Amino acid sequence: MWLAAAGAVRPAPAQTPSLALDSSYSCVMCHIDHRRAFLTGVHADRGIRCHDCHGGDPAARTEAGAHSRRFLGRPTKSQIATLCASCHSDPNRMRQFGLRSDEFAGLKESRHGQLLERGDPNAPTCTDCHEAHLIRRATDARSNTHPTNIPVLCARCHADKALMARYGIPTNQFEQYASSAHGRALFQDRNFAAPTCVGCHGSHSALPPGVSQVADVCGRCHQLVREAFNRGPHAAPAARGQLSGCIACHSNHGTEHVAPGAIAAACGRCHPAGTHGAAVADSLQARAVAATEELAAAGAAIARLERAGRPTAEALVRYEGARTSFGELAQIQHSLDMNALEDLGLKVASAARTVEESADVAAEGRWEHKLLLVPVWFLALAVLVLARYVRAEARDRHEGRGRPPE
Amino acid sequence: MAKGFRHASKRILEKSAAIRNDVRESTDANLLALLRLFGLLYGPIDRRARIDRAFRGALGYRLAPQAGWRHALGGIAYFLLMVLVVTGVLLAFYYRPSAQEAYPSLQHIVSSIPFGWLVRDVHAWAASLVVIVVLVHMLRSYVEATYKAPRETNWLAGFLLLAVLFGFGISGYLLPWDQWSYWTVAEAMDAVGRVPVLGRLVVELVRGDDAVSGATLSRLFAFHVILLPWLLLGLVVLHFALVRKHGQAPVVYRARYPERRMRFYPDQLMRILATAAVTLAVVITLAVLFPRNFGPHADPSAPPDLLPSTWVVVPFWRALLHLLGWGAPVVMVGLGVLLLLLPLLDRTAEVHLRHRRVAMVIGALCVGTFVVALVTSPRLRTHGPQLTVPTGAEAPAVPFGGAERVPLPVPPDTTTAGGGRP
Repeated sequence: MWLAAAGAVRPAPAQTPSLALDSSYSCVMCHIDHRRAFLTGVHADRGIRCHDCHGGDPAARTEAGAHSRRFLGRPTKSQIATLCASCHSDPNRMRQFGLRSDEFAGLKESRHGQLLERGDPNAPTCTDCHEAHLIRRATDARSNTHPTNIPVLCARCHADKALMARYGIPTNQFEQYASSAHGRALFQDRNFAAPTCVGCHGSHSALPPGVSQVADVCGRCHQLVREAFNRGPHAAPAARGQLSGCIACHSNHGTEHVAPGAIAAACGRCHPAGTHGAAVADSLQARAVAATEELAAAGAAIARLERAGRPTAEALVRYEGARTSFGELAQIQHSLDMNALEDLGLKVASAARTVEESADVAAEGRWEHKLLLVPVWFLALAVLVLARYVRAEARDRHEGRGRPPE
Repeated sequence: MAKGFRHASKRILEKSAAIRNDVRESTDANLLALLRLFGLLYGPIDRRARIDRAFRGALGYRLAPQAGWRHALGGIAYFLLMVLVVTGVLLAFYYRPSAQEAYPSLQHIVSSIPFGWLVRDVHAWAASLVVIVVLVHMLRSYVEATYKAPRETNWLAGFLLLAVLFGFGISGYLLPWDQWSYWTVAEAMDAVGRVPVLGRLVVELVRGDDAVSGATLSRLFAFHVILLPWLLLGLVVLHFALVRKHGQAPVVYRARYPERRMRFYPDQLMRILATAAVTLAVVITLAVLFPRNFGPHADPSAPPDLLPSTWVVVPFWRALLHLLGWGAPVVMVGLGVLLLLLPLLDRTAEVHLRHRRVAMVIGALCVGTFVVALVTSPRLRTHGPQLTVPTGAEAPAVPFGGAERVPLPVPPDTTTAGGGRP
């Protein structure tokens, strides 16, 4: 009786007996499978119970009784969103968990939210991505929303050809992403800082960035590239939407890498041969290729030093210097500022050549070791001659005197 | 001035003559027996004579009529051992046996210590040459049947010396602590560990850890510079003492002996001197022209793609390992035991090889194994270390899974109705 009264007024979480122990809580008598999932999730820890979302009377002992009193049962997709938002849109309640409270607002602005509002049965709601009962923290590797699981989560729908055909959306994003620089960083190197789908598209407010927004989206991480790009001649057309920003050369999900030797060809897509743009592209490519070769030569020189057993610490510091300048060059080239590129190219070359010189000095030292063979063989032959001489002289003495030496 | 100089030099000569005289009268000709044991003098020593007279008598000793260049192999091996001892001691002055310091200390030796590179490469080359020379020495002994009575014990001592040399090579191989040495030893330990019954125990004793680590380095260093040198000294003394006791075996494959027997001095001593000089020059030449390269610093989490060998035994060992897996150490030990027991298995007085059936079979087994390994070894130049974890097939092929790439996740199957949609 007391428990029934307690169920009607929601008590403070700390005083609630655990759902696992509370045998008087009647929902779990039938919905035992949900109990286990719910207890594993984060909401059970916070004293949230079945009837907080589903309504009904957990103190009742009959099905009809339990399913009365503002019983919601299975909520619709839009009801789910509103239900979650009843707590998750309250900044005062979310603050203690370090959670945001704008998810619902974001969802309403997103393409997903628009479809949901229109009553599209395929539109995702909160529980399609977060599960209904088994909700884990995003830092838990088993969670759908853990970085390594997000691409697969989105691909559940976005790789479904039949489903996406209805909305005219391609389905190759996952494939492209998995082989991109971002995908390799995430899946192979387990670098959770690498952007997943939500890194560029947003999570709850998911929408593809507009053409004029691309440079800013990429620039959130690639800040120096964005600065360089904005200084260069391509910034203005990109801002006007005439050029699709970064993805004009690098593609979107595949993050296509433009190799130093392929720069002119990439530029050639817009700048035909013989134009000023093509000339700049050739010069850019020449500098990038030269810097790449210098860097590779320095790397090979360090390998030579290592094979010869020379300490490589100093050379490695210089090599890192060359790599830093090379990285800067890779960023600054987006500004097409040839003077700055020239300076950086010289820095790479200077550091790389210092490394090569130290390897050359070591190799020369190794060559000089061969000079040691001259005195060594001179002495060895001298010993041979001496041995012969001593034997011959002893024989002469022996034969001359007709008796063996004492 | 000149008179003063003459006077001083006369005084010095007188003084040194007095010292020589004191030494002569206070020492014993028995000292020469020690020189004789270590091959610096031959023949019987007249122990009743004064040391100088006994010495001169020993110099005039005439060698056995069959003595010739074919007996030089043992002497060359002995000389190479001396070279290894001297260079090894010099290396030990600077080498530091710890996982953190071993590699940099060797870098220091070859790049900063005067002639450190020479000492290091001579040590490495002499270690390879000594194995070759000892094997040829053994082959001659086998062909000429010198292991027969009364020299059976000396065959055993010689074989144990070979085993000790292998022990030196194995324990020394890890000391550079680069990728090549680390993974070759790890691969060998892995194979030995998979030998049923005894393998696990042996590996645990030698490795001292679950994987090759600093503990293994310490153990192998202790074997290399403390335990094995004493064993070597004891076996060398035994080997030499038995040679002195029984003399050289009569030579089988030779029509007639020379009429004049060689004198120890100057003939034999000058030959020793010339052989030593040429051997040393050859070792230095090899060390200068083909220095042992350094691999990258050992990384227990990332096996290298290639595993260059830097000791003459290693390519053959790896070839056997590649062919037989854990059978390789078993075959090696099995052949070793057969060779060790050769004097007991082949007891007839017959010395011609074609009439010695047992010896022929054992020899054919050894040579056959060697040839198979020789033929297989070039294929292994492109192979990295082959490792398994002894717990079973489900364990990763590489400890700690370092070099393995995590497979890319596959998107959910959307071809069936409903697809992966929740």
